[in-house]
Amino acid sequence: MATNATNQKKNNKKLMTALLVLALAVVALLLVYRQFGPQTSAGNKSLTISVESADGATTDYAVLTDAEYLRQAMDEADGLTYEMTDGMVITINGERADWNEDSAYWAFYVNGEYCQYGVDEQPVADGDEFDIVYTPAQ
Amino acid sequence: MNRRPPFSRKNSSDSHFSIRYAAGNIVLGGILVAVMEAAKLALSFLPNIELVSLLVILYALEFPALIFCILPVFVLVECGVYGMGLWVIMYLYSWPVLAILARLFRRQNSPLFWAILSGSFGLCFGALCALVYLPIGGPSLFFTTWVSGIPYDLLHFGGNFVLCLCLFAPLRRLIRRCKAAFPELYRDRQKRK
Repeated sequence: MATNATNQKKNNKKLMTALLVLALAVVALLLVYRQFGPQTSAGNKSLTISVESADGATTDYAVLTDAEYLRQAMDEADGLTYEMTDGMVITINGERADWNEDSAYWAFYVNGEYCQYGVDEQPVADGDEFDIVYTPAQ
Repeated sequence: MNRRPPFSRKNSSDSHFSIRYAAGNIVLGGILVAVMEAAKLALSFLPNIELVSLLVILYALEFPALIFCILPVFVLVECGVYGMGLWVIMYLYSWPVLAILARLFRRQNSPLFWAILSGSFGLCFGALCALVYLPIGGPSLFFTTWVSGIPYDLLHFGGNFVLCLCLFAPLRRLIRRCKAAFPELYRDRQKRK
């Protein structure tokens, strides 16, 4: 009986330690996100959004905005329309690029580099040039 | 000639048992995958709050002979629902990692322990999934993919921890009761003979 109680006590102690380590891991992850996550900037920005459709035609949009993320800037781009499903941009200006249906997707580039974040998390900075390109599956 | 006829009573009964057992396993596997898929779809409107982790742990503990057959079938069903994508590769190794961990710690009974394991898995899920980007874009793509998903990993951690803490014990009891009620569907290895 005494051994059982001791084992139980030891086990509880291990669980509490694991819980503490887990809590520390959560804090560490928050710090990593704060340090290395998408950095936004407030204030006026001037940026361009260029949409390249399946036939290669390009439409440019000049946007003056206070937006911190791309989605808000896209909302403010005059004449640009888009639809999203499950956080993915599927349709732009009425042209659908659904991976499951069309074996294609809309690829987003910022200043020539492939965007690392979704439109809700992609930060925008003054002078940024965004390219949204209809990309068929390879 | 001392050879036993090919369809002796012993052989026949053995093969009859094997066929019944295999059929039972297939039926049970289908049910377990269906439960997983239904649980996944039921909570799919909440970002990264899911019951699949808890079910993988429970299945690994209660159906060790089936778990590594169930997981690929679950991924296949998911492909039918969501279509193919890079996530298929992620799923093919992420869920087995959790199942292996559950098997390694199978002697643990405390719901708190399983909540910690399930929560840790949720916390690491983004990093596990980002591993597929290593061969595509190197460490920088892995790192940015992982970092951008940290808020979702934190949600995943919270959801897994709370759901496992609350549901692990009652669901395990329920599964054991079902196992006892339908012994022809599944038998633990030590009870098979």
